[in-house]
Amino acid sequence: MKLFHYINFILIVALLIVICVAEDLVVSNSLKQIQSYCYEIEEIIDRNDNLKNMETVLAVDNLEYDWTESEGNMCYMVNHKNIQEIGQEIAKLKLYIASDDIDAFKVSIEQIKFYCHSYLHFMGANWHNVL
Amino acid sequence: MLTIIVRSIIIYLIVLLVFRLMGKRQLGQMQPFELVLTLIIADLATIPMAEVSVPVLHGVVPLLTLVVLHFVLTLISRSSHVFSKIISGKPVIIVNPKGIDYQAMKKLNLSTDDIFEALRESGYFNISQVQYAIMETNGKVSVMPKADYSPVTNLDLKTNAEDSFLPIILVSDGKIIKDNIALADVSEEEIKQMINKYGNNEQSIKNILLLTLNKVGEGYLQTKTGEGVTFQKEVKA
Repeated sequence: MKLFHYINFILIVALLIVICVAEDLVVSNSLKQIQSYCYEIEEIIDRNDNLKNMETVLAVDNLEYDWTESEGNMCYMVNHKNIQEIGQEIAKLKLYIASDDIDAFKVSIEQIKFYCHSYLHFMGANWHNVL
Repeated sequence: MLTIIVRSIIIYLIVLLVFRLMGKRQLGQMQPFELVLTLIIADLATIPMAEVSVPVLHGVVPLLTLVVLHFVLTLISRSSHVFSKIISGKPVIIVNPKGIDYQAMKKLNLSTDDIFEALRESGYFNISQVQYAIMETNGKVSVMPKADYSPVTNLDLKTNAEDSFLPIILVSDGKIIKDNIALADVSEEEIKQMINKYGNNEQSIKNILLLTLNKVGEGYLQTKTGEGVTFQKEVKA
């Protein structure tokens, strides 16, 4: 019986370690991926005068697709409310393409980058978050 | 709404598992650190149940962390008497042969009403009947009465009382308890014979409320509709 308790203890500790590592990997990889998409889109905008071009539309579509997948994975570990702003800003990007509002588009991209950066800090294990 | 139902079931099962892993002591005699853990668990369990945006893992991870913490604290307090005293405290004598220990009473933040209540719960309504009363680390009070008020035992009366044997439940609410059959050293056939003989000609086990038997063959049988009867079974040679 004592051995059973020790096995339980070891299994629970192992499970907690796996959950912590999985959370860190999923969240940081997903958010970094979104950030890199944003940099890519910024470069595309710099090369073009307007938003109504295939390159921008495809890049935003890829960003949206990737975010939908990442959000699904992150929802197992992160409070939905903490990450919903990114999805909202990505939805706005499509509207700005339709109205060719390049300034608002750039602001949205900046905001997505900012949210990703903030969440990476907010979700990581550091003394600021612990205390 | 379905999400909340499923989440509630998951959290319920996990909290049940957590309490099982913490051991039976958790349910009755809680030490201070166990009480703290129980209060936190109750609070933690409700968060993912009520808030759908919070992942179930946000409830599960702290619960499992508390199990680990409880295990570690129990392990250390078992091996270190000093640590055990720090987190659980030590028993304190609140009533001694001279009367109530006022210093101990103040230290434990007790009133005389509290002490009297604890004594009454133990069956002593007058403090002059009490030799010692000890406040245990789990908050319960153990009372040792003065010799004049101690319950009389067979040893005091010098009678040759025989040891009694634990009755083993063979049939409970119409069902044979298979684990106990070997313990009582009887077969299912013998159980049926006992039912036929002592159960008002009752044929079906389903209609038996309780059948017990001890090592010396003393039995008790009650049908669901009739009165209970005691009987003596012939013991195997």
